[in-house]
Amino acid sequence: MKTEASAPAAETAATSQGSALAAARAGRRLEPRSMVRPAVIAALLACVLLFVPSIFSLYYVDAWTQVAIYSIVTLGLGLLVGRVGMVSLGQGAVLAMGAWVSARLLFATGLPFPLVLLAGGLITMVLGTLVGLPALRMSGLYLALITLMLAGAITVVLQNINFPNGGHGFTGYNASTVHIPPIRRPAIAASDPAFFRYSVVVAILMFLLVLVHLRGRPGRAWAAIRQSEAASLAGGINTTLFKLWAFALASFITGIAGGLVAGSFRYLNSLTFSTADSITLLAVVLMGGAYSMTGAIVAAFLLKFLQALLNDWGVSPDWLTILFGIGVLQVLTTAPRGIVEQMPKDLARLGRLIRGLLGRPTTTRESAE
Amino acid sequence: MPSTTDLEQFLVTGLSLGGVYALSGVGMVVLYRATGVLYLAFGAVGAMGALIAWQLSHQDGWNIWLSFAVAILFGGVITLVYGIIFGPALAGRDPLVKATATLGLLLILLGVMDLLWPSSGGASRSLTMPTDNNTFQVGQISVTYTNVIALALGLVITVVTAAFLRFTKLGTAMRAMANDREITAALGVPVRRVEAAAWFGCGVLSGVAGVLLADLVALDSTSLTFLVISTLAATLVGRLRSIVVTFVAALVIGLITAELTPVSSLSNYRDMTPFVVAAIALLVLNRRRVIMVGRQGV
Amino acid sequence: MISVSDLTVRFGGVTPLDRMTVNFERGTCGLIGPNGAGKTTFFNVLSGFVRPVEGTVHAFDEDLLKMTHYRRARWGVRRTFQTEQAIEELSVYDNVAMIHEHSKMTGGSRREDVLGAIEFVKLDIDPYAKVGSLGAAQRRLVEVARAVVGKPRLVLLDEPAAGLPDEETALLGDVIRAIPEHMGALVILVDHDMSLVSHCCEVTAVLDFGKLLASGPTEEVLRDERVIRAYLGTEEIAA
Repeated sequence: MKTEASAPAAETAATSQGSALAAARAGRRLEPRSMVRPAVIAALLACVLLFVPSIFSLYYVDAWTQVAIYSIVTLGLGLLVGRVGMVSLGQGAVLAMGAWVSARLLFATGLPFPLVLLAGGLITMVLGTLVGLPALRMSGLYLALITLMLAGAITVVLQNINFPNGGHGFTGYNASTVHIPPIRRPAIAASDPAFFRYSVVVAILMFLLVLVHLRGRPGRAWAAIRQSEAASLAGGINTTLFKLWAFALASFITGIAGGLVAGSFRYLNSLTFSTADSITLLAVVLMGGAYSMTGAIVAAFLLKFLQALLNDWGVSPDWLTILFGIGVLQVLTTAPRGIVEQMPKDLARLGRLIRGLLGRPTTTRESAE
Repeated sequence: MPSTTDLEQFLVTGLSLGGVYALSGVGMVVLYRATGVLYLAFGAVGAMGALIAWQLSHQDGWNIWLSFAVAILFGGVITLVYGIIFGPALAGRDPLVKATATLGLLLILLGVMDLLWPSSGGASRSLTMPTDNNTFQVGQISVTYTNVIALALGLVITVVTAAFLRFTKLGTAMRAMANDREITAALGVPVRRVEAAAWFGCGVLSGVAGVLLADLVALDSTSLTFLVISTLAATLVGRLRSIVVTFVAALVIGLITAELTPVSSLSNYRDMTPFVVAAIALLVLNRRRVIMVGRQGV
Repeated sequence: MISVSDLTVRFGGVTPLDRMTVNFERGTCGLIGPNGAGKTTFFNVLSGFVRPVEGTVHAFDEDLLKMTHYRRARWGVRRTFQTEQAIEELSVYDNVAMIHEHSKMTGGSRREDVLGAIEFVKLDIDPYAKVGSLGAAQRRLVEVARAVVGKPRLVLLDEPAAGLPDEETALLGDVIRAIPEHMGALVILVDHDMSLVSHCCEVTAVLDFGKLLASGPTEEVLRDERVIRAYLGTEEIAA
């Protein structure tokens, strides 16, 4: 017995939008993906690569290098927090691990720098995932707490085995070394400006890697998990696997960032990384917008460039710590998706306001906000 | 193998530290049960209180006990102000969000402390209580009155708080709120006032803990701020619920950390104790996996 | 047929399901009961979120409880939740396609199956629109589309019409009635709206305090004295 569903509302809607379904059936998308945005981004990046070293002094070129490197770290944390909904308070420790592994490999082997980066990334990925495995069964507060605990434990270990300084043995640390050799850099990127470009290129590659994930199956699964773990499981998604994958990806890219830190600083010690670092990392990621990739760059800028700027002006970096604390409170109480998500909305509102002042009518799409 | 005397001497340190972790843990658990906020800034507040006490007593020549009173009051007031402003703002949110917000307070306090009391490379500050000088001997070990106060306070506060929660109207109200804030409010309990009491009480305890730890450990903003991890570990063993278990766990953590000091092979790793204990507690706590319906993260 | 035998769930001093025994034969079956009767707990057992201390569930002669939760979707269990769970940042198409993808259906027929499911629930909109831009009624329909895509065997609908106005509820009722015939699945519908239950379900089971109170043809069950008494004091029985 066939049932006939025909109510007036459905019919009028069908005439204007039924064509949308038919169009989709025929394989036509109503709104084709625009090529403008990627082109603009590519152009911007090209300018950055070409001109930054000539515009800025060496001091600021190094600051921009730190921004590039740490944008990889904030990207990883943003992925965990913004896309999957896992707040990790341990990414600082993962970065330190990556730096340690890379430094060790750079001293112990003659492997070319890119290979060391890759190996460092992979080893950090394995270590980070192993250490993070117990966290995967948890959610919310307990996940955050256990990442904090594991990070703390790692920090204590690193403080004791110290960072490699050219010595022999497993830890590569020789306490009595007087003349510590610097960590080597890639042959093609020995100078600071060259290392800047190198870091930016690596950062671009990491961003692309994450983008590929987000556009594909893992990205959709992560969106589902963040929305509701129960519904994801009911939908057949192996949530543990995908959470593990997110953790592994974040650890991998953070490990590579660690390698870049090693090459950038050239001398590492346990003061380079501190417990508070993991917290300020979370703070800037929240402020910059955990959800968007642009947010990761904003976060890195907040973390590293402002620091360099204040240092140059003779202002204490403690003001930044205070700013980040205020930022966390502001973001959590008002803009749960971070300021970058908020920005397009604010800009749109501003645009409408201007249009209104100019006497132009606003389009229906904008006013439907 | 360290000598028995060594082990016994560090027993004293361990019990003192444990006592302070215990009174801190009690404060954090009560606040969590009343408001759902895990007060990660507990250590930072105490640290700043201790620095204020140092400033007043060692630099401005105030009476030492008055300085301590100011420090303790500071802890209570700052925590109360935070609770009044950000409690309602985040009231309905997940405990994760509430706890992350306290990290914001932590950062602000850390920044302020390092600005006002910069760590100048040379001289380090120290806060000493007059009771440090009063010592007595138990066999081969020397015990200061400070040690006694730390342990005694830990014990007393645990007992008093447990009784308070059980037998007083305010305490019962706090327990009720832990279960369901809305129903408690509907029953006519002045929820805001109960919360304010919890915030202030926890803040006072953080001031006390800050002063004691500054004396027992070091007067350093970062170390004191992150000693909250030891307290946190104890509260996690108590499943953020049981004050008695928190007390015992705090003593155990304090003892283990202290007793590892004379053990040369493990000494450097003794700071891992709270991390390891907390990690184990979390893993055991979460044996039965809870599957969440609804949005994750912040 | 889904046969439930002596299903018992116990935790923290509560027994949400108490030796529940019932068979769901075919078509669209209703499952009703007062608040706290155990209906959602029953669904949670079927989804694999809650482990029973006793009892068995056999779905089409297979032991459902032996499967890991996320594998049940692959086997053919689909479910909607009381609070809608469609993923806001993804499009309607992606929301439905994801279920298809994770139930290991072949990619070849995916497009047809997904668009077919969207059409089946009478959701006439651009399938590439983001779910976040849709209204409540449309989001519910996306949920139902997710529940019927890709050869489901057992469709669990937990208050799918909650918050919908009468007109939309009637439309939804027609869609639900058509699922067994068009999709070949057995449907269990939990709802408090008795007119919806009467409209869609030939048979209905009633839970009270975790026990089966009555089961049989819907009309008879709704007139059963015991059932009315169980609901006494609530206005949910609006005939």
